[in-house]
Amino acid sequence: MHPSGKTYSDRMQSSPPSRTSERATAYLHPGQLWVSADSYAVTTILGSCVAVCLWDPVTEIGGINHFLLPSFSGEGIASPRFGNIAIKELLDQLAHLGSQKHNLLAKMFGGACVLEAFRQRQHHLGTKNIEIAQELLKSESIPLVGHDVGGQRGRKLIFHTDDGTAWVKPL
Amino acid sequence: MAARKILIVDDSETMLQVAQMMLAKEPYDLVIARDGAEGVARALETNPDLILMDVMMPKMTGFEALRALRSNDKTSAVPIVMITTKAEAESIETGYASGCNEYIVKPVDSVELLAKVRSLLGD
Repeated sequence: MHPSGKTYSDRMQSSPPSRTSERATAYLHPGQLWVSADSYAVTTILGSCVAVCLWDPVTEIGGINHFLLPSFSGEGIASPRFGNIAIKELLDQLAHLGSQKHNLLAKMFGGACVLEAFRQRQHHLGTKNIEIAQELLKSESIPLVGHDVGGQRGRKLIFHTDDGTAWVKPL
Repeated sequence: MAARKILIVDDSETMLQVAQMMLAKEPYDLVIARDGAEGVARALETNPDLILMDVMMPKMTGFEALRALRSNDKTSAVPIVMITTKAEAESIETGYASGCNEYIVKPVDSVELLAKVRSLLGD
């Protein structure tokens, strides 16, 4: 139970969430974020990419990112395609909508290593993406209350911005 | 060790050139094909280590080529990255069901492309 007194469900549901049809829907492309105080079912597809979902049970505001690469190192353009920027921007946008960081709860998905041959390697792209998200959430003191990361298969993720629930389907 | 071979399958000359430019500084042997059917033929003939596959192409789409490659023992385990438009990305679930390993959304970013290529080649 969260200090707010509200329960935050981190169960992976076995079938698509039934209330999705009552919500507006959005599709999140790699490198994008979606933050809203309204009720949205946000869908995204993840391979080695990682999505961090943050939800504030007090304001019932939620947001999700989908990043491809762990950290911006000065090469290319700084954008939410990089985990360190995507997580900071997600936090900034939630704060802008009135969310307090100390109320936030996190879920994390993705980071697959799709090839059997490289599964034993500690630093393939998916692992690096998972690690940067874990590290940044820890440094921001945001509890990780649900996750489905790593493994061999891509994932379809649906995240509800209004109640923080998530549904994951292996692809 | 022989240079790793990457097969780029795309009907757009511009996209082929862009991908080749992005990978030019890397020690990869690049092979190209200009439609899905040629992509399957070139894959069987050249045994690439990785395939970058466009989706919408004449003769055979990228998804059809993907299924053909996955059903052939010679190419069933080759990493395949689908290169999609934003609209096509929303149906990439089909690509995963057919056996793609990753996808990249156009416009292709060189940092992202190189990171995924290196990761899939185990570099």
